[in-house]
Amino acid sequence: MLLSVSHLRELIGFRDLIIRLAWSDFKLRYKSSALGFFWSLLEPMLMLLVLYVVFTNLMRIQVEHYQLFLLLGIILWNFLDRGTSMSIWGIVGKPSLVQKVYFPRDILVISTCITALMMTALEFIVFVIFMLVFRVMPGWTVIYFPLLLMLELMLITGLSMALSAMNVYFRDVQFIWRVVLQVGFFATPVIYPITIFPEGVRWVVMLNPMAQIITIMRDCVLYSTPPGAASLSYVVLSSATSLLIGYLIFERLEPGFAEMI
Amino acid sequence: MDETAVKVEHLWKTFRIPHERRNTLFENLVGFFRPNSYEAFTVLKDINLEVGRGECIGIIGDNGSGKSTLLKIIAKILRPTSGSVKVCGRMTPFLELGVGFQPDLSVRENIRIYATIMGLPKKVIDERIDDVIRFAGLERFEDAKLKNLSSGMQVRLAFSTAIQTDPDILLVDEVLAVGDMEFQQKCFRVFEDYRNSGVTILFVSHDLNAVRMLCDRTLLLRNGECADFGDTNSIIDKYIYKSDSSSDAEKSSDKERASTRKEIEIADVKFIDKYGNPNENFVAGDPLSVRIFFDAHERVRSPVFGIIFYHEDTYCYGTTTEFKGSDTGVISGMGYVDFIIPRLPFLKGKFEVTVAVTSHDYRTQYDWHDRRYAFNVHNPTRDLGMMLIDGTWSLHRDA
Repeated sequence: MLLSVSHLRELIGFRDLIIRLAWSDFKLRYKSSALGFFWSLLEPMLMLLVLYVVFTNLMRIQVEHYQLFLLLGIILWNFLDRGTSMSIWGIVGKPSLVQKVYFPRDILVISTCITALMMTALEFIVFVIFMLVFRVMPGWTVIYFPLLLMLELMLITGLSMALSAMNVYFRDVQFIWRVVLQVGFFATPVIYPITIFPEGVRWVVMLNPMAQIITIMRDCVLYSTPPGAASLSYVVLSSATSLLIGYLIFERLEPGFAEMI
Repeated sequence: MDETAVKVEHLWKTFRIPHERRNTLFENLVGFFRPNSYEAFTVLKDINLEVGRGECIGIIGDNGSGKSTLLKIIAKILRPTSGSVKVCGRMTPFLELGVGFQPDLSVRENIRIYATIMGLPKKVIDERIDDVIRFAGLERFEDAKLKNLSSGMQVRLAFSTAIQTDPDILLVDEVLAVGDMEFQQKCFRVFEDYRNSGVTILFVSHDLNAVRMLCDRTLLLRNGECADFGDTNSIIDKYIYKSDSSSDAEKSSDKERASTRKEIEIADVKFIDKYGNPNENFVAGDPLSVRIFFDAHERVRSPVFGIIFYHEDTYCYGTTTEFKGSDTGVISGMGYVDFIIPRLPFLKGKFEVTVAVTSHDYRTQYDWHDRRYAFNVHNPTRDLGMMLIDGTWSLHRDA
């Protein structure tokens, strides 16, 4: 059983490996480019610029601190997008680590998710700079920030476990997932506030845990509003479910990895 | 402490090879109503093995006999189909050198990654990283990117890193096969050191000499079955003299004969020893004649007989009657040609022989028996290697 205390203990024994793999992956991403880390910042920045221009001038969305509102949404969505897209390759892309040595295979996925977390942390540095520039000071509710980020990491890890394992057997999972992410970007309140939907439909949109995470995060960081108990527990529950189901799928498919790659 | 390091019980491994590989979800959905048929391929059949602490076990066998699969199952990389594997102690697999190397990172970073994968704790890596670089002889390149190193340097780096691990059980698969002679000897010394310090070693190799020198006991696998297990020397002998597998080759040649009609057939090949008797075992330096029995169904003018000697994968020597300037004339009916070797120039090992017969201009191949025959050469001297070179030493003093 992978989701057990003994497995968790085993993972802790491999913590050096998890960190080392995550860190070297992180470095590799910027190693051979002259602008290095700035590339990863450039992408969300450009996207922010385009979306900002479009939505403030053409769509006339009325949101307080819309720049920050948008940036926070994009960073959190990018975290999910990157974490899962990179993890899909976590098993298939590293055949020698699967076929020539043994360590618990979920380490490959966990370390990739941590790489995505590192990249997101970098983007949050830019976010802090933006907050200073626009003179927005977060209230005490910012203490929910680490909790929410960890819940999102859990959600991403769960999805990544399932996706990376399924991609070993069905190589088109990666393409299907790309489409899902595209749709998800617009179905989740990343660029618009949830309030553009009529009251009666909102709960449907909010079934999406990412919609909850992004909305709660904005409330906490930008508008000093603490999350409601119901929505927070919904996020906790859905992240935990994602992790559980992800692990169950991973555990079922894992024995065949070395043969199927 | 338990005295058993590795215990394998009733181990079976079957690979299911689909006739049509369905790699995408789409193919699987489309194929849902047409069940895919599988070819079950049993690689390991009921393997039992018990290795004591500190023992050094060799695993030998032909390609495809399941050696690497067995090692991978013990290493937990593959799951057994049935049966159990118990391992007591810290295990390090050397199945491939340089697992997880990243060409775009520096030498130092790669040592850290690889050492971590091999299970070394961070503190130990910090302590030994300079030793590793020195041992690999890469002091001047420590900050270079790995991809800028020659492949020889990369292997040296990988090996110097790998041997920093201090396992209880070591699994080695053909690691000695890469690298030059000097590197191979270095590897070998390291394995000897490991053995002498009480590490349990499971050693898969085609290099029978290395197995002979390193291993106390040896497991011989044949087509996934445990053909024999016991004292290394006697097992290796048994492997070389492969007593019962020649009958398989006989059968397949029967089938071939029935299905194709040829002008000239090779009916049989015998190795004739110095007493004029057919034999499979020869002593280096003795005479040997390869007798090729043919059966010509038609009158054929000047066919060419050819012969090739192989040792493992080395093409040792090949010649034909035409190369040697002997005309076979007109042939019909049965008979034989001899290839006479007055002094056998092979020192030791198993040599396989390909025999062929073609038309005088090599355009038409009448018959071709690829590596179907084999003989063994025994070394009566203390010389080393595969070939026998007639040479003597002569010393001259200047004073």
